[in-house]
Amino acid sequence: MTKWRTDRRGFLQTAGATLANLTLPANFAWAAEGETLRLRVTADFQVLDPKGIIGELDEIIPRCTQVTLVRLGDMRDGNTWQPWGAEKIDWIDPTKIAFTLREGLVWSNGFGPVTAEDVKYSFERIAHSDSAWAYQFEKLDHVEVIDARSGILHLSEAFAPFIIIALPYYGGNIVCKAAVEAAGGSYTTQAPAECGPYRFAAWEQNQKVTLTANPDWTGLKPAFSTVEFYIVGDDQAAQLAYEADAFDFTRLAVSATKQVTAAMPEGASLIQAQSTRYAWLTININAEPLKDLRVRQAIQYAYDSDAVLLGAYDGLAARSTGVVAPTSPFTRATNLIATRDVEKAKALLAEAGVSDLTLQLVALTDSTTQAIAQIIQASLAEAGITVEIQPTEDAAYWSLGDKTAGDGYKSLELVLMNFSGGIDPTENLVWFRPDQIGVNNWSFFDSPDFETLYQKGLVEQDESKRKAIFNQMEDLMESSGGFIFICFEPYIALHDSTLKPVILADGQPDPVMFTRV
Amino acid sequence: MPWPTSPRALKALLADPMGAMGLVLVSLFVIMALAAPILAPYDPLALNVRAKLQGLSWAHWLGTDQLGRDTLSRLIFGARTALSISVTATGIAGAIGLLLGLIAGYGPRWLDAVLVLVLDSVNALPMMMLALAIITVIGPGTFTLILVVVLVSIPSYARLIRAQTLSLRRAEFILAERAIGASTPRILLRHLLPNVLGPLVIVLSMDIPVVIMLEAGLSYLNLGVKPPMPSWGNVLYDGYTSIRTSPTLVIAAGAPLVLATLGFTFLGEGLRDALDPRLASTRPR
Repeated sequence: MTKWRTDRRGFLQTAGATLANLTLPANFAWAAEGETLRLRVTADFQVLDPKGIIGELDEIIPRCTQVTLVRLGDMRDGNTWQPWGAEKIDWIDPTKIAFTLREGLVWSNGFGPVTAEDVKYSFERIAHSDSAWAYQFEKLDHVEVIDARSGILHLSEAFAPFIIIALPYYGGNIVCKAAVEAAGGSYTTQAPAECGPYRFAAWEQNQKVTLTANPDWTGLKPAFSTVEFYIVGDDQAAQLAYEADAFDFTRLAVSATKQVTAAMPEGASLIQAQSTRYAWLTININAEPLKDLRVRQAIQYAYDSDAVLLGAYDGLAARSTGVVAPTSPFTRATNLIATRDVEKAKALLAEAGVSDLTLQLVALTDSTTQAIAQIIQASLAEAGITVEIQPTEDAAYWSLGDKTAGDGYKSLELVLMNFSGGIDPTENLVWFRPDQIGVNNWSFFDSPDFETLYQKGLVEQDESKRKAIFNQMEDLMESSGGFIFICFEPYIALHDSTLKPVILADGQPDPVMFTRV
Repeated sequence: MPWPTSPRALKALLADPMGAMGLVLVSLFVIMALAAPILAPYDPLALNVRAKLQGLSWAHWLGTDQLGRDTLSRLIFGARTALSISVTATGIAGAIGLLLGLIAGYGPRWLDAVLVLVLDSVNALPMMMLALAIITVIGPGTFTLILVVVLVSIPSYARLIRAQTLSLRRAEFILAERAIGASTPRILLRHLLPNVLGPLVIVLSMDIPVVIMLEAGLSYLNLGVKPPMPSWGNVLYDGYTSIRTSPTLVIAAGAPLVLATLGFTFLGEGLRDALDPRLASTRPR
C-alpha cells in the first residue's frame, strides 16, 4: 500500500491528485485505481482446483479468481450471505434452490459466458467424490439446468444450512466445464479459465503471489487493483515485516497480543476476535495402552485446562465444550469432565491396573502447540503418566493419521490437533464420523449413534432440537474418552488502520471485500 | 609430543593467557554441568504459568520463560545437556576414528584404500543435510543427535590418525620394534597410539563447541533434544518466540553458547601451542 509522502514531491503529487479528483464527475468511481493491497499468508498454495484445495492461499485465490453463487460477509458481523454470482437465489421448497446467474459473467481465455451447465458440472463433480469438500454437497442430489443462466439445486433431503455450507467457498467455487474438461478433468496450479474480480498474474514460488483486477468483471469492483500475497511462515518475522511496512495485513501469534496492545505500531489496528479454529487433544481409542476407557478418562481428569489457557493462550481464550463454536447458539453448556481431579485420575489408573504408563504425544513445532504439549506433559505427570513429546513438522504431521500412508495411524496415542471450523455445527462435527477414521478422525472414534445423530442434525429444521442433537454428539465424543476439548483459538491480526478487512468464517481474509476506510 | 596432561604441557597451557582463559571457562562449564542439581535454584522442569515471562529479579535472576520456568536453572541444566552430548559424541567418534585411522595407516594397502573411499564418501555429505535426513528417519532426540555427530565426525578423525600413522610407521623407533619382532598390537598400542593421541585430543577439544552449536541449532529447530529437557538451543528458541516481550531470555540463552564456544576454542588452541612448541614460537605475540 502506498504511504503518504511528506516531502515536496509527495505534496505536489497529492495536491495534483486531489485537484484532478475535484474536477471529475461526482459519479466517477475510480475505485482506488493503482492501489495495491499486500497481505501476508503463511504458506504457498498447492492446488487451485476447488475439488482439491486444502486451505489458506489455496482457498483465498479461487475466492478472488472464480465466482460463487453467494458470498459470505465478515465473521465478526455474523457471517451473513448475499447473492454474488447469482442475481437471484431462493428456496422454492425445503429441497429445491432456484438460481439465476448474473448477466455478463465471462470466462477468461475465450471460454464464453458462465452458464448453469458450469454450475451443474462444478457441484456434481465434487458431490459424492473423494474430495475433502464432498461433505458440503452430501445432500445435493443433482443440479437441474433450466436455461443458460438458470437452474435448480435439488437436495435429497431438506437441509437448511446448504447455502452457507456449500455455496460460498471451497467446493462452491464454479469452474468452467469446457476448460476443465479440456485440461483433463482437473487442474493444479493454473486455472484453465477464470471469472472473478481478479485474475492470477504472477507467482514467485514460496515468496509471492500477485493478482490483478479482472477487466472483464462486471460485478462489484474491488477496492484494490492489485493484491499481493507475501508468504512468510513465521509469525515473529511477519510482525517485524509488518512494522517495516512490508505488507498491510498479517495474522499474529496469540503470544504477541499483549506486546502489540502495549505498543501498537503507528497507523496500525489490531483485530482480536473469536475464530472458528478449534483445538483439541486426540486420544486414540485404538492404541494399545489406551484401549481401556478408564485410562482415557484418567487423562481427561489429569488435564489442566487453566494452565493450558494461561500458558499457551495468555488467558485470551476460554475452554471449549466441544467443536461447536462458543458463539453459536448450538454450543454445549459444559464439558462432562469440567474440573481437574488428579486424585480421580490416579484412582482410575489404579482401577485399570495401569502403572508406569508412557505415552507419545505428537505435536506440531509451532510455539503455541509446543507450549500446550509441555503443559499437558507436566499435568499428566502429576497423575503418574509419562508423556514423551514428538515435535513433528507440518509435512510429516498430516501423513501420521492418514490410512493411505501405512498402518501408523492405528498406533498413534496422543495428538494435538486443530481445525478451521465452519458456520454450521455439522461442518465441524463431520470430521469425527466413522468414515473419517484414518482421514481426519484420528481418535478412532467409531460411534453409530454419532452418525445417526449427524444425519438427523443435517435435516432437522427446529433450532432447539438441533441444539439437543449437537450437544448429544459432543457428549458422545467426550464420553468415549477420545477427546479433550481445549479451546477455540483467538483470531489476532494486525492491519493498516486505513483498511477495513473482511475475515471469513474459515479465518481467511477476503481481499475482494477489503475496503479503504 | 608430550602427553596433554603432563606437567610441562599444563604449565605451558597456563602460561598462555588465551589457553588459561579457555581452561577456566571450560572448567566452569564442567562444574556447572556436574553440580547442576546443587547450583540450580529451581527445578528446571517445574512449570508455573502464572509466573511466565518474568524479568530479572532476586527470585529469578535471569527471569522466567513462557511457561514460568526459571531460566537460570534451565541454562545450568542446559550445560549438562550440551556437555554430555558433545563429550559423548566426540568421544565415541574420536575412539572409532582412532581405530579406523590406525587400521588404515598401519594395515594393508587395499584396506587403506577401501577405508579412505568410505571415509571420503561420508565426508562428502553436507553435515546439516545428513543430520536432517537421519532425524527424519529415526526422529529427534538425544540418541539421534549423538548418532549424527558420530557419523559426521568419524571421517575427519580417522583421516587425521591415518596421516599421523603413515608418517610414523617409517620412523626409526617403529622400524626398530619391528626388527626385534614386536607384534602388530604391541606396536599399535605401545608406540603408535601414544604418539597420535595428542593431536587427536586437540582436534576433539576444538570440535566440542561445533557439536554444542549443532545441538543448540537442532534443538532450536525442535529437532534436537525433546522437551522438556533443557538445552541451550530450546531455551534460545523460547527466547526467540517471546523476544518482543522478554528480550533478556535470548541474551541469557545466547551468552553460555558464546562463552562455551570461546572457552573450548581457546583451550584447543592453547593445547595445540602447549603440545607443539614449534607452532607457538611462530605465533605473533
